[in-house]
Amino acid sequence: MKQQLNELRVQALEELRAAEELSVANELRVKYLGKKGELTGILRGMGKLSAEERPVVGQIVNEVRNELESAINLRIEELAALELQKKIASEKIDITLPGRRTNIGKLHPLTQTLNRIKDIFMKMGYSIAEGPEIEFDYFNFELMNLPKDHPARDMQDTFYINENIVLRTHTSPVQARVMQNNVEKGPIKIIAPGKVYRCDYDATHSPVFHQVEGLVIGEGICFADLKGTLMKLLKELFGANVRMRLRPSFFPFTEPSAEVDISCVMCDGSGCRVCKQTGWLEILGSGMVHPRVLEMSGYDPKKVSGFAFGMGIERIAMLYYGINDLRLFYENDVRFIKQF
Amino acid sequence: MKTSLNWLKRYVKIDCSARELADKITAAGIEVAGIEYHGNNLENIVVGKIETIEKHPDADKLLICSIIVGADTLQIVTGAQNVCVGQNVPVALVGAKLPGGLEIKPAKLRGIDSSGMLCSAAELAIDSKLLLPEEREGIFILNEQFVPGTPIVEAMGLKDTVLEFEPTPNRADCFSIVGIAREAAVACNVELNAPVCECLPQLTELSEESISVEIVDSEQCARFTAKVLRNVKVADSPEWLKQALRSAGMRPINNIVDVTNFVMLELGQPMHAYDLDKLSGAKLVVRAAVAGEKLTTLDEVERILTEDMIVIADGERAVGIAGIMGGYDSEISDSTKNIVMEAATFNAKSIRRAARALGLRSEASGRFERGIDVERIAAAQERAAQLLQEMGAVSACSGLVECYPRKSKPAIVGFSAAEVNAVLGTKISAQKMLEILNNLGIATEADGEKMVATAPSWRGDVTLMQDIAEEIGRIFGYDNIPLKMPCSEITHGGQLHLQSIADRVRSSLSACGMDETISFSFIHPDSFDKLNLPENSSLRLAIPILNPIVAELPNMRTTLVDSVLNSLKYNLAHKNDDLKIYEIGAVYLPENLPLEQLPLEKMKVCGALCGRMASVSWYSGREAIDFYSAKGVVEELLADLQILNCEFAVCTTNPLYHPGKSCAINHDGLNIGFIGELHPFVCKNYDIGVPVYIFELDLQLLAELACLNQKYFALPKYQAVKRDIALILPGEVPAMSVQQEILQESGELLTGIRLFDLYSGDRMPQGKKSLGFSLYYCADDHTLTDSEIETEIAQTVKMLAEKFAAEIRIA
Repeated sequence: MKQQLNELRVQALEELRAAEELSVANELRVKYLGKKGELTGILRGMGKLSAEERPVVGQIVNEVRNELESAINLRIEELAALELQKKIASEKIDITLPGRRTNIGKLHPLTQTLNRIKDIFMKMGYSIAEGPEIEFDYFNFELMNLPKDHPARDMQDTFYINENIVLRTHTSPVQARVMQNNVEKGPIKIIAPGKVYRCDYDATHSPVFHQVEGLVIGEGICFADLKGTLMKLLKELFGANVRMRLRPSFFPFTEPSAEVDISCVMCDGSGCRVCKQTGWLEILGSGMVHPRVLEMSGYDPKKVSGFAFGMGIERIAMLYYGINDLRLFYENDVRFIKQF
Repeated sequence: MKTSLNWLKRYVKIDCSARELADKITAAGIEVAGIEYHGNNLENIVVGKIETIEKHPDADKLLICSIIVGADTLQIVTGAQNVCVGQNVPVALVGAKLPGGLEIKPAKLRGIDSSGMLCSAAELAIDSKLLLPEEREGIFILNEQFVPGTPIVEAMGLKDTVLEFEPTPNRADCFSIVGIAREAAVACNVELNAPVCECLPQLTELSEESISVEIVDSEQCARFTAKVLRNVKVADSPEWLKQALRSAGMRPINNIVDVTNFVMLELGQPMHAYDLDKLSGAKLVVRAAVAGEKLTTLDEVERILTEDMIVIADGERAVGIAGIMGGYDSEISDSTKNIVMEAATFNAKSIRRAARALGLRSEASGRFERGIDVERIAAAQERAAQLLQEMGAVSACSGLVECYPRKSKPAIVGFSAAEVNAVLGTKISAQKMLEILNNLGIATEADGEKMVATAPSWRGDVTLMQDIAEEIGRIFGYDNIPLKMPCSEITHGGQLHLQSIADRVRSSLSACGMDETISFSFIHPDSFDKLNLPENSSLRLAIPILNPIVAELPNMRTTLVDSVLNSLKYNLAHKNDDLKIYEIGAVYLPENLPLEQLPLEKMKVCGALCGRMASVSWYSGREAIDFYSAKGVVEELLADLQILNCEFAVCTTNPLYHPGKSCAINHDGLNIGFIGELHPFVCKNYDIGVPVYIFELDLQLLAELACLNQKYFALPKYQAVKRDIALILPGEVPAMSVQQEILQESGELLTGIRLFDLYSGDRMPQGKKSLGFSLYYCADDHTLTDSEIETEIAQTVKMLAEKFAAEIRIA
């Protein structure tokens, strides 16, 4: 019986070595170790052995069984790995085919630009205020120190609804609304974005465009604060290397007033077509809130002061993205919008 | 304002380049918008005197001229017909290169030698607007006083640099060359040499002997002056005067008109000359026009005046519209012998309104609108008389006739250095402030800490300490002011709930593949018809704009659908076929019209989808957009805002939508919007050839209903068991009512339900459809046994059979 076991062992190992396929290896497992397998058959014959022989042969059977079992398992693993490798080797896709995109939508570049501006100011503790687009002449002009027949009204071609109601020509009336609504006449730190309207329509003027107004009111606010704030804004918007220039100017609602230029973002100030060879680009208007404006909205210009600024979002978006045609913003061509 | 550097240099010494000067003055607050360099490329062009003219033997249209150019005499063939012997003409010598690029070479014209070319004004690059009509054609005939051989740039003073200043509206004083010169002097730190305005009259006769003046209402006119000038010889102006006017972009006309224009440019005071002999009653009266009063102005147009206009009248009738244009009848002509010169100031608002109403805005009216230096009106009279007398055009009478009912008081501004430094955030010394102000002509004295500034008559804009601060700041240099950040209590910024919701909506829609658009806020009333709106629709109540920019956009929009459809159409026209776009913006809803109160500005969201879900690609993308694509976007949006329990209700009444393919979105009985296929009529009206699916949502309501702090619910501890059931139902049973019913009638073990299949094809009996639902069962305290689930399903199946007559197959 010992000899029988040894033959079986040798035969099994031989066949296992010859097995090249996983299925063959699996069949060998059944053939030798299965319930009806050959080893089991030999075990059944153990009953015929004497009591002395039985443990000896039993031990040999177990040894053979263990040896075959681990040999078969090993072979199965080897073959499985080999087959997987073969499968992997046969699997090749064209990775240059485009992926399955979900095609997310895009925000309008004006929204994206406004979002950047809002973020910058909210980080500095500003609140976002709003006001109506269809506005009383009183708020749009009178409270901004622009009485009727003031020549500076010419600077802003106005759409009129009637004698008293206009389409706001700037976001500045929000200043007056915020000041009036501040019952305690406490400090103010806001920006006010929104649509504004001017009766002007050509390649460089849009009858509808967007502005962001800024207003800070408190004790001891000075022109140097305005300069510092604007420098911070412009560096955040256009990068740390941007330079700023303030030019004295005139707005009825600020005194002193300043136009603000930045070094040309296209040529870095060396002079190009975009900056008309000047190296500078006009970017926003600003100044110290005019004492009349404070007064008219219930603040005491002897106690508090403030600064205000206003900028066109289109202008900033054009410079930031290098867009050269204002009309693109309102044509809403998705080939344009999807670029941002 | 165009300002010649040559002219400016009469009053102020300028050593720097035009560019540097421009930068300095711009930095001080008067912006230079452009610099023009004149008189380039005119080398080798000289004055030539025509000595003889002969006909060309072989060409009818050519003339052979012999022309003296200094020591030489040249033979030049010309085709021009306006030349005569004795005239001075511009001659381009051989070697000259004209501004237009033409190079002059020796030539033979039909066998005759020609060494040079006679030039037209255009060939010298002189703007035709600055020339009399007869000067624009043919050879440019020059002043006969010019010396032959003189370079043309020298003779005509063409070499000049012109700076275009854009003074801000508050700086009326800078709409004059002397005003600019004053700024230049301060900016360059040099002396100002203002012109001396003094006329020694040639006549002892007093002006008041032949004219009197009267102002009816001093509100309309604070000061009116008149001066009589006799022995008038109307003629061409001297060359220097013509040059000066041309440099400022004005056309020389004759000596009288030219001097009034010169003084206006030089001092900022508009003037007007009347033919004294054509005035009746020997007087000039400033009064309000009578409604309907007629006056033919210099341009020979009969004007009908209104009561709010100011006129100058003689003893009988109006002879001019104050500050705007003189009358035709009293105009200076070649035969004029005596004139009255007027210099005055008028109510700026009246002038502004009248100029607008008459459509006659001019250099003069613009200056009156901005404000006149009242104190210097008399100086302007003196200056004009002085210049005219010097050029032998008139003999001036003595004195001035004037009415000056409203003397201006100079503004006195008290301030301290500390106050100014507090405004600017600087540490400028009181001494430096005094220096700056005095240089600007703002006489300032210090009395200890306190300082007192007296604004000069030409600086009506300086009235407050802040104005003083600006003057000091701008001359000190804005660039020299330090950078600081506002020092205040720490504030907490942020935005309104509605703004946050708008941002959230945008991000949801982006995730759904929707592109954001932004449109003008206008609408044309025809769009209401195109949108299929009934006559009584409240959306037709759109606010009209009095002065719309283009006739196509006269009203404020009451719906975003028109805006979005226009964007959609634009894209379709540009072959962008697969579109998912939306706009968030206001619609303007008046309570009634005409508008008395501000309208409701309601924020809306409107989306439009057409074409395919995704562009066709190698893997798929052929799936067409339909109602459910639009609904899916809205469902995602509502889910993101955690607005639960919305009801999508059949809606057949909204005229914008296909009645069978649209729904209202309701929440607790409140309508928050619509989804549906755009009504095929509307599609056709907009010329859109493909089905469009749109949705409209009220952003305000979304903001109110949004729940951004939804509480978490625990995830199940035990595995859920899924069972699929298939139902065969009558075709008209809405799928969601079946789902609702299952959810409602099942116990709490049913934790989820999903419609996974819909079939109504050939294999279904007529009028039937099949719905497949996956049901998910789970208990929170044990793993469900088969028998528990079987019981649940059996109940559900029984209920469905009873309620919907459904045949059921359990998978």
